[in-house]
Amino acid sequence: MLVFDNVTLSVGNRPLFPSLSAEVSAGDTLCLVGPSGVGKSSVLNYACGFLPDDIEGAGEITLEGQAITQLPPNERQLGRLFQDALLFPHLSVAQNIAFGLAAGGSKRERLATVADALERCGLAGFEDRDPASLSGGQRARVALMQVLLAEPKALLLDEPFSALDRATRQTVRKLVFREARTRQLPVVLVTHDPDDVQAAGGRSIQLGSG
Amino acid sequence: MKVWPVTVLLACTLVPSAAGLAAAVFAGANLDALAAVLQAPGVPRAMLLSLWTGGIATILSLGLAHALVAMAVTGGWRQRLTTLSLPLLALPHLALGIGLVLVLAPSGLLMRGISPWLSGLDMPPDWHIVRDPAGLTLIFGLVIKETCFLIMALFAALAQVPVAPRLQRAASLGYGPLKGWLVTIAPSCQQQIGLPVAAVFVYGVGNVDLALTLGPDLPPTFAVILWRWLLDPSPLIQSQAHAGTVLLLVLTLFGLLGLWAAGRACRALVSAISVGGRRQRRVRPARIGLSGVAVIGWVVGGLAIVAIGLRSAGGLWRFPAVLPNGLSFTSWQSSFSTALSTLPMTAGLAVMSTLVALVLVLLGAEQVRTNPLRRQQLGQWLFVPLLLPQMTFLFGVQVLLVWIGIDGTALAVTWMHLIFVLPYMWGVLAPARAAVDPRYEQRVASLGVNRWSGWWRVTRPLLTRAMLLSCALGASVSLSLYLPTLFAGAGRIATAATEAAAAAGAGTLRLAAVHGILLSLGPLCAFSAAYGLGAVLYRHRKDVP
Amino acid sequence: MIGRRVALWAAASIALAAHGDDARVRTVYFNAWGGDPAINDYIAWAGERLEQEHGITLRHVKVGDISEAVVRLNAEHAAGRDNGGSMDLLWINGENFAALKNAGLLYGPWAQDVDGAARINWQNPTVRVDGNLATDGYELPWGSVALTFFYDGARIATPPNTPATLLQWIENNPGRFTYVQPPSFVGTAFLKQLLLLLTPAPDVLQSPVAENFDEVTEPIWNWLDRAHPSMWRRGRLFPLSGPAQRELLAVGEIDWSMAYNPSDASRAIENGELPVSIRGLHLRGGALANSHFVAIPYNAGARDSAILAAAFLISPEAQAHKADERIWGDTTVLNLKKLTPEARARFERAEHGAATPPPPASTLSEPHPSWNDALERAWLQRYTR
Repeated sequence: MLVFDNVTLSVGNRPLFPSLSAEVSAGDTLCLVGPSGVGKSSVLNYACGFLPDDIEGAGEITLEGQAITQLPPNERQLGRLFQDALLFPHLSVAQNIAFGLAAGGSKRERLATVADALERCGLAGFEDRDPASLSGGQRARVALMQVLLAEPKALLLDEPFSALDRATRQTVRKLVFREARTRQLPVVLVTHDPDDVQAAGGRSIQLGSG
Repeated sequence: MKVWPVTVLLACTLVPSAAGLAAAVFAGANLDALAAVLQAPGVPRAMLLSLWTGGIATILSLGLAHALVAMAVTGGWRQRLTTLSLPLLALPHLALGIGLVLVLAPSGLLMRGISPWLSGLDMPPDWHIVRDPAGLTLIFGLVIKETCFLIMALFAALAQVPVAPRLQRAASLGYGPLKGWLVTIAPSCQQQIGLPVAAVFVYGVGNVDLALTLGPDLPPTFAVILWRWLLDPSPLIQSQAHAGTVLLLVLTLFGLLGLWAAGRACRALVSAISVGGRRQRRVRPARIGLSGVAVIGWVVGGLAIVAIGLRSAGGLWRFPAVLPNGLSFTSWQSSFSTALSTLPMTAGLAVMSTLVALVLVLLGAEQVRTNPLRRQQLGQWLFVPLLLPQMTFLFGVQVLLVWIGIDGTALAVTWMHLIFVLPYMWGVLAPARAAVDPRYEQRVASLGVNRWSGWWRVTRPLLTRAMLLSCALGASVSLSLYLPTLFAGAGRIATAATEAAAAAGAGTLRLAAVHGILLSLGPLCAFSAAYGLGAVLYRHRKDVP
Repeated sequence: MIGRRVALWAAASIALAAHGDDARVRTVYFNAWGGDPAINDYIAWAGERLEQEHGITLRHVKVGDISEAVVRLNAEHAAGRDNGGSMDLLWINGENFAALKNAGLLYGPWAQDVDGAARINWQNPTVRVDGNLATDGYELPWGSVALTFFYDGARIATPPNTPATLLQWIENNPGRFTYVQPPSFVGTAFLKQLLLLLTPAPDVLQSPVAENFDEVTEPIWNWLDRAHPSMWRRGRLFPLSGPAQRELLAVGEIDWSMAYNPSDASRAIENGELPVSIRGLHLRGGALANSHFVAIPYNAGARDSAILAAAFLISPEAQAHKADERIWGDTTVLNLKKLTPEARARFERAEHGAATPPPPASTLSEPHPSWNDALERAWLQRYTR
């Protein structure tokens, strides 16, 4: 369960939107919608601990009962995806996926985990490819697997489908929700696309005046 | 943002510069000595010569750099221009100066090439063309070096100007590339390349390296007069030298003011031209002419390196023979072995100062990576030492070093080199660091990896090529530093640059050429290594910058 | 590896600066003019021999002019560094010696007590009196030389050997003669040589410069004013050192050079740096002669080792090696009669190249050191535009 408790963001004492309070239970998806610049992405940045210097954030966010806003960013266990896949360009597909894998286990086990992840997202045999050689949809899938292998306790998605064409968008969307549901992860999705809201189950919060 | 990395970075360069300047002004504020300077033979003319050579070289270099970059960007040979400029940019002034004497003198390579079959000469003509009284050869040498520097500065500035759309609009209004550039692009760059242009001027006015080999004499430029005074044992002449360094500072500031006024006037002129409506009809002649100029500069620069190589081999080289007598690998080897003694110190200083600078720059760049304004301000502060005449502030720095008690140590020289290496490495690395997508940090954190580990595993690989390039640049700068090494090293620290300058100052061209070879090979090796490694590393990863 | 060497260097220099005047300091910083590769090689050879004999490391600090070292010593004195100074041995003479000795910045007297000092030819006045100032044991003679002119024998059959005939030759062969720019060492020597031969009353030159300067020096300005328009670059540009002038002779820009060393050209020919047609001469009426010395700064960090090094420099072995024209060709300061027959044989075996003139029939002593400065200043004043 991911809980936003009275979260407000302000620039120089001017609030970006009235406060946000919401609960997202395991396997559930909450969509954040609203006009550009209202601070949808900033909510996710606040949750992850990367608010820009000029924005002031207040309010608590708890994940599985633990308050996280004072934790170092890398200990918050939030899986984040952006509009661009942002794969690490110097690593192969397999190295990218293994990046978030916890230490331990034999090399063979790790390789098997990576192969399994690629299999599940339909990219079996892509291990040694250069991320630059993948299509947009393939990259999005690799990025998802990379995030999932780091075993987050929630997913924060920042318009992850908007750069993809229509057909790919559906495939990737389906994959994301399937994986989130299997792993029972709460999901927050920032989007402009009504189709996304519908596919996510229809639950959405409007930030700022629509 | 943490403050200490930035503080350390700035303290390393600003404290000695400020202290040096203060000490120099304090030592030089002596009215009797000032009067003596002005009455010394040739001083007024020497000052004019300094302003003239520095000023004309700056204006010519700036004009040429603009024109060449305009032609290159519109003609699609931007990459080629970069490739052609880099070797000349990396070649130390001193080596170029030594080489140009061997090419341009009446007994130089050019005259040998056409003698006696074309010129009919079997003895060198008695022409006063190198070290000429008007300083034209000196200007030529400065222009070769500084045009390359300004081309690089312009390319850096262009990153923030939407060049293609503007030129397309200008072209759609019927303007050719040169005028289109002049009215739509050049004004946007002026602000950003202001500091590099000022640095070029300050170097031109205050340099000893090139003026010693190519500049006029009786009188020489003011900086060379000061250099000679500083080496004179008489306390009277010493105080004259100290007062002179303050005058040099005043002279430089005066020149900068003039340059700034000229810049304003140019802007007004450009505004006037841009509404004049005239269009070029023919681009080809300008394009051919400019390519010609570029090729001449490059060929002469290349010949200079060849000439250094030939001369350093030793042996008798009577005019008009094109090659020295008994040119062989062994003769070259034996000359070269005399120069090798400076190799450990030269390379050691380059490596040390570059590595320290690398760490400092990376730490600083990390702090200002998301703040372009801070980044620019920090860059400007680091640039300050390049805007002071070396002779002036280095003399003061020497006093500071003696006071601390580390003058003449490798430590002190490394510190001095650091001051000059930092701004160049910052110029390459800080923008590269800022160009790394900040969202990688969020992705790294969301994958449960901490900041330092994330920097090491993601940021560092993405910066590898920029780091290699900036290290090569830093090493080249360190290698070429003459006055800073001389002053901080108290004469005890011998590098290829100090040996080459000592030999050039004494007029022993062969010895100077031998050290000049080391000076030219150093940057060449550094840049080849940087490009080579950069090409090999991540060669299968297309998107790594 | 390189990094470690630098670190060692740094550590060594700092250690030296901290507690220098220790007899155990085995590194001698020898500040000596570094403009001639042959001389640099000779000093490197001496360094190797010292390492073998005494375990002393001789570091040649190559200066463009020894006056740089005088500046530094003054600075160290002003900064109060009276121990552990940065220089241990200086190659010096003339005005620089006078400046340091008068300022009390030299250690001494020590020169007469050095091992082997008895073998020096003290009869030679230039080893006792350096530019009119008694050496008093504050510097040790290292070599003796006379100002020698060199010309291209293939182009000049009967060379002029007096100022008057030289002037005539210059006017008949425009652009082919030049001299080294004062205040460079050889350049000032040329002015002094002219002055000694042209002035009607050479005795005045042995006293300090007085109001009579213009009167006494008028003949040389007349000579130069006439010669300059016919000289290389019309007398508006000059080579900056002896070696630079030798290079102009080597490539064929000029027909003359000069050096404060009679075997300068022979050695250059041997090394393939000058054409074999070069010949040497001393001006009739007396060649300007002097000696050069080594001295120890008052604050030398390695004084004892410096004295050992100096003693080696006047050993028969080092002097014979130095007298060899293929090595350096510098005339020895030793009295050959006081040497063992074997040692003497090494000197007598030495052959002289075709470009080395026979010893001058007569020599002229340097004027009082104050004339150097006055001549240099007057020259700059007259010929700087």
